[in-house]
Amino acid sequence: MAEKFHGLTLILRSGAVWPAAILLYLMAGLISPAMFELRQVVDILQVSAFLGLVALGQTMVLLVGGVDLSVAGVVTLVNILSTDLMDGKISAIPVGVALPLLIAVIVGLSNGVLVVWAGITPLIATLGMNAILYGGALIYTGGAPHGAAAPGFTALGQGSLIGVPASAVCWITVAATMWMLTRRTAYGRRLYAVGANPVAAHMMGVPVGYVLVSAYTLGSLLAGMGGLLVTAYIGQPSLGIGDQFLLTSVAAAVVGGTALTGGIGGVAGTVGGTLLITELNSFTDIVHVSVGAQYVMQGAIIALGTIVYQLAGRARLANSA
Amino acid sequence: MNSRTQITRRRFAAVGIAGALLLPGMFAFADAISSATISNEGGMVNGTRFKKKGPYRIGFSNGFSGNTWRTEMLASLNAEVKRHSDIKDLIIVDGQGDITKQVNDIDNLAAQDVDAILCIANSGTAVVPALSRANQEGIITAPFNLPVAGTEWTTFVGTDPTKKGRALGKWLRDALGGKGKILGLGGIPGNSYTAAAWAGAKVALEGSGIEVLAFRDAMWQEDKAKVITADLIAAYPEIDGVWADGGQDAAGAVLALLAGNRPLCPVTGDDFNGLIKLYTKYHTSQPKFDIGLMSDPTWESVVALRATLTLLRGGNVAKRMIITPRLITSANYMSYIKPNLPDGVFVDTDLSDAELEKLFG
Repeated sequence: MAEKFHGLTLILRSGAVWPAAILLYLMAGLISPAMFELRQVVDILQVSAFLGLVALGQTMVLLVGGVDLSVAGVVTLVNILSTDLMDGKISAIPVGVALPLLIAVIVGLSNGVLVVWAGITPLIATLGMNAILYGGALIYTGGAPHGAAAPGFTALGQGSLIGVPASAVCWITVAATMWMLTRRTAYGRRLYAVGANPVAAHMMGVPVGYVLVSAYTLGSLLAGMGGLLVTAYIGQPSLGIGDQFLLTSVAAAVVGGTALTGGIGGVAGTVGGTLLITELNSFTDIVHVSVGAQYVMQGAIIALGTIVYQLAGRARLANSA
Repeated sequence: MNSRTQITRRRFAAVGIAGALLLPGMFAFADAISSATISNEGGMVNGTRFKKKGPYRIGFSNGFSGNTWRTEMLASLNAEVKRHSDIKDLIIVDGQGDITKQVNDIDNLAAQDVDAILCIANSGTAVVPALSRANQEGIITAPFNLPVAGTEWTTFVGTDPTKKGRALGKWLRDALGGKGKILGLGGIPGNSYTAAAWAGAKVALEGSGIEVLAFRDAMWQEDKAKVITADLIAAYPEIDGVWADGGQDAAGAVLALLAGNRPLCPVTGDDFNGLIKLYTKYHTSQPKFDIGLMSDPTWESVVALRATLTLLRGGNVAKRMIITPRLITSANYMSYIKPNLPDGVFVDTDLSDAELEKLFG
């Protein structure tokens, strides 16, 4: 019986977001039939991809028990750099993609080093990094960003492949790769082990420090990719463009079942969490409610999702005791 | 959430540089800003109390920096300072979007014995006690751009968002022939500028056959406005017009309509170069596409600085100097567009194209 209950809570934690996302979609569609339209589905998928990639990155960091609040700065800096480097020229796409991603990797490495070897709390280290990145973007642009995404590059954010938005194809491909990496490789098992109990992981011979640094690096790289997609969507530089991801990336992962304490959750849940949050935003855009009510609805549903997981977590603890 | 973005705004820019209308009770400054109409409200402030010999030290408490409106505003201010040999120092402090930091910034400027404090407030109420303290010490306090409560400061320079919102509403009502379905797009949730402008717009739309399908906060960001409009397009088969208080919102809406293969429609906004570029590109192929734009001048800083200098030299200025916005429409957009400058530029500026090139280069 205990075993059975334990299994149930695990399923709830890893998969509850999907029925919730479907239920929300059906409810939203009943209230506002526009949600059922094909083009709305396409729109939701297209827009989910930006948050989706950033939230996948956040998940990597949350899995090892950290948090990355520099994702906002990474997205903004990538947006500023890529539009500046491309400046509307197709020939500049390679450098406009590679250099920003390289910088995202360096940022992630630095976050990891600050947390692991300088011993700074992840919250402080990454928030500080976020401020540095925003300041860097300000210095780089002098407050006057210029440039534009190249025409071919914008197809990534605006185009589609056989009716499926190209951005969503990128997101799902990356998500599938990350799922393989976290669930089917030794590296993935190490990530979970470090997040669940770093001391035990160390005793088992896991190089805890390197795993942590790699998680921050991967997280930042994925945030950078999200920054490139949102740049392709809008085509322009904007100094505040990353800020929307600062907390929603954490929310998408947490609603998807990834624990803030590390070691629990994963990629599939975050994909569901991202869809849930984007659906929610889309639904509250469409439905006839006041702006204030929009925020109340969004907050309440995210809080409700988190409470469900906490209850599931407690039940599991009680069960195993 | 980051307070910086909570206020990422005020790219009010402005209004025309066309023929000056000097009406009774109004005056204009003589130079690049000369064509603007500035009405004096709230009586006059006597400069005798503030009169002193130069050279002067001026402080500026900027609520935050980092968007293009603020960048142009600062460039205009710095250029103006260089034109006055009796200004010894311009001390600029940045509130970084933080309300408390700005109050402290203003107190610090006062402690440094500056002769005048210019300010764009992060909060129209929180800075009042600090401005009042400085004012009592005989320091000129000149808030500009964003309104501040009460009267315990020396002089204010800015536009009137309610009147602007109403004028944009009237333009949209006329452009749609008094009937149709529109979207409303505002800035950051809860900001007083959007609230006042939208209240003005609703007055203008009252009694017409115009139905407001939805009003949403689009953060004055193109990407946000595009996502929100894409959602609304799915919900509403017919969108005949978009009322927005910012050009980025309107540009995002236009991009979403284009992506959704919907016909473009009349939109309002401010003098965001990107929107004027979109109009230039699509207005021939999209016959219903039209623009009605109003904005606050990036050179409000210059007007505020000149007002403080007038007082320091013993002259009088108005308690409130309200800049009357002019409309940028299909009839005159060609004299505003900056085709070779980035979308983010606010085109009604006293900076020359060469100065803008240097700034945005």
